[in-house]
Amino acid sequence: MPNHFLNALLILCMMLLATISQAASKLPNTVKVDPAALTTEPMCDPKISPAWREAQEIEGVKIEASPGCSPDNPAWIAAAVKGTNNISMDTLMKTGLSPDAIIKTDDLDGDGDPDRIVIKLEIMELNGRSPDFPGILPTFDIAPGIQPGAWVFAPKTSGMSTENFESVRANPLLRLPSPVIRVEVGDIVQIVLENTHYFPHSIHLHGVDHPFSHGEHGGQDGVPQTSEVELMPGERRIYQFQARQPGTMFYHCHVQTHTHLSMGLAGMIVIEENRPNNWLQTLNIGAGHVRHPSIAVREQFDQEYDLHYHAMDKELGDIIQKYNDPRLIAREMNQRYDITDSSEDYFTLNGLSFPYTLRESLIIVEPDQKVKLRLLNSGGELIAVHTHGHHATITHYDGVEHNPAAQIMRDVFDMAPAQRLDLKLETVNDGKHSYGEGDWLIHDHREKGITTNGMAEGGSMSSIVYKSYLNGSGLPKVSHFGIDLSEYFTKEYYEKRYPIWQDLDEWASLGSPGEYEGLDPITQVSLLNALYGLLIGLFLYFVFAKRQYIQQCANAAVTRLKSPKGGNQ
Amino acid sequence: MAKTTTITFFLVAMLALNSNVLAQDQAKKTDEHDHHDHSGHAMSEDKHDHSGHSMSQESGAAVDHAAEHGTVDDHGHDHDIDHSAHDTQATEHGDMHHHHHMDHDHIMDHEGTMIMGQNLDKLPSSCKSISEEVEITVRAGRKYSKNFPGTAFAFDKQQWNVKPCAKVTFHFINEDSIRHQFMMHGLPKYLYKYGMFHLEVTGPKTVSGTIIVPGTDDTFLVHCDISHHMEKGMKAQLVVGKGGEDIPSIPGLTPYNLTDRYEAENLPKASDKSINKTEKNLISIEMTEFSNLNLKNYGMMLIGVLIGLLSIPLFKKISFRRKSD
Repeated sequence: MPNHFLNALLILCMMLLATISQAASKLPNTVKVDPAALTTEPMCDPKISPAWREAQEIEGVKIEASPGCSPDNPAWIAAAVKGTNNISMDTLMKTGLSPDAIIKTDDLDGDGDPDRIVIKLEIMELNGRSPDFPGILPTFDIAPGIQPGAWVFAPKTSGMSTENFESVRANPLLRLPSPVIRVEVGDIVQIVLENTHYFPHSIHLHGVDHPFSHGEHGGQDGVPQTSEVELMPGERRIYQFQARQPGTMFYHCHVQTHTHLSMGLAGMIVIEENRPNNWLQTLNIGAGHVRHPSIAVREQFDQEYDLHYHAMDKELGDIIQKYNDPRLIAREMNQRYDITDSSEDYFTLNGLSFPYTLRESLIIVEPDQKVKLRLLNSGGELIAVHTHGHHATITHYDGVEHNPAAQIMRDVFDMAPAQRLDLKLETVNDGKHSYGEGDWLIHDHREKGITTNGMAEGGSMSSIVYKSYLNGSGLPKVSHFGIDLSEYFTKEYYEKRYPIWQDLDEWASLGSPGEYEGLDPITQVSLLNALYGLLIGLFLYFVFAKRQYIQQCANAAVTRLKSPKGGNQ
Repeated sequence: MAKTTTITFFLVAMLALNSNVLAQDQAKKTDEHDHHDHSGHAMSEDKHDHSGHSMSQESGAAVDHAAEHGTVDDHGHDHDIDHSAHDTQATEHGDMHHHHHMDHDHIMDHEGTMIMGQNLDKLPSSCKSISEEVEITVRAGRKYSKNFPGTAFAFDKQQWNVKPCAKVTFHFINEDSIRHQFMMHGLPKYLYKYGMFHLEVTGPKTVSGTIIVPGTDDTFLVHCDISHHMEKGMKAQLVVGKGGEDIPSIPGLTPYNLTDRYEAENLPKASDKSINKTEKNLISIEMTEFSNLNLKNYGMMLIGVLIGLLSIPLFKKISFRRKSD
């Protein structure tokens, strides 16, 4: 009976040994992510009407064509050029702006354009915490599924902060970046800051010719330590100036600047040269293509683009998603957040990261054009913008024209924080200005600049695209090269859950490895060891149990061995 | 006596002001004019709108006026229209441009003062008649958040009660210098577009609007939809009859669905500072520190004694075994 049992156990062990050791000879199979499992977004935002791309005239304002997939709302441009006080209610209703958002009056110099400009800005939070549900609102995605907590200067709006009551998505006027402001030399400009936010803020007009204090409005350099006290929630302050010099400048909040600037309270402000009948597009909401450029720009250039580079720290933005109580947010930001231990995670161009930059921040050109690019770096570190296929000429540093005889051409443009560069991009195919038509990348050459929280391809990457390389929906035409960009338009990609090389070949040689079928090698080894142990144990038991028998056998064997030996002797 | 004359004077002025709005609308859209012609409240709300603008800047006059409105309100004045005030009003507003967007549920002026989803005469299906006519003054501003630590904006009250089928006129007084909204949700959609009633105004200024509440007991959310104004305190509820389910996270009224985690901070205290100043106090610090240290030592000793007492049986066992061995 014990013998049978032992035999059976031994056989079982042998079988187990055989199966266990057999499985170890093959590595796990590749697991492919089914495209149906991804939340795929349309590459071009379907909410934006393709009719917005066309050249058109609204309220007598000529609006240039903008063939990209998400052009600016033409009604915004008409309102920005004429002023919200000089347009029909019908056009105003298409903008969502408050009727007093941009007030333009009084042609003081009699040159045919208004010279008193009042611009009302509010401060809006994006992607902040709610005490009612475990989500954030109003939401603004800088890339698929990427919703950093942010604050922006927003043009004064009317109505809800979200698209509608059912939606948590932000009203399109509430977005990154803070809008580009455009005024003329000599205009009497009032920027009215209505602090709709729950923290104190201010506006500092970096580079803009503004008096340190104004008789009626008091100190107006925006600095709480030198010129004025913080503007508290619910309060309004007027910043008034009459600039004497043109140039690409910068405005930002100067309260707790080390956090407020990075949170998004930073925008470009352009002082244009004074020209007769120069109706300017006072706000370029979302920056990018200027569809109603100033007369001075039109004299020299075929097109104009505002390119606002920014960077944000995820840990900073997370604070407003973690807390709702303003006191806790203040404590975390002012006392506990240490910028010297921080690193930037999100790199944006005009408020968005790749692939959304393809929707609205492409530089769309034709051969033999002169294009004016205004660049601003509002991030915390130096950036190095590289133009593939082109060398552009630096015409202005920080709004001041560089000696024309000494202007240089480069293909990497280094920009310190807060710095502005005006570039002249000439699409002349001579091997220097341009290497010819194509879909040429324009990106920050610090390699983290092309990542979104460390995931490439992302960041502030965009393209200089020739019209011949544009598809019907205004995106770069890449499909004929076998390129598929659809994976970038999924949130799973930026959640780092998509094996980016799985579709490079048929069998996904660089796809995601699965798990071992059955047992993995480590468990195999330990199981084998256990089996060996069991066998050894059984053997020892056997030896112990049958020790007398073994002894007898041994004795018998010994005597047998001895006897023939002895016999031989 | 003087007070009543000023009030009547103001009233006449208000009527004159609001009449120009009607006149403009008449010129623009005659069909919509009809609608307002029949409604006394369309006028009274404009009345408040302009009164707030002209008066509430420094004085509290608009506020007083709003409060007294209920008693002096007279529908007989509806057709008493004076068309002469237009120019005066325009200059008063600083620019000569007016937007008056009017359709059946959207009225907006050139400063963005807005009335949406107003209902002056359409009875809800659950009502046979209007049960009561109520005037409610709502104030909004940062200062009302003072009573609720951890908020930034608030209304002066967090709950208003009305009877079912009541006709309610809200006088919304924004006391801040920014935009605020009085936005109500969940109303019957066959009467109110998106189920919403919405007043909006940049302060300091007042806007008024009227609704007729349904005939069933219910509770409606009231809030300001400007980004994070509701989250940071500007939230309330309108209770009709006995009301329905409470709206969460209304400051001082209903619990938050999600609460933040609070922990005490190591803040500098004045008492610490004064102790450090004098030598006498330094000694007392040493004394207290010494005694604290001693307390800890005694505690440890006590624990040791307890362990010793508990382990006596163990020792006994060991010794017995030795003996038995």
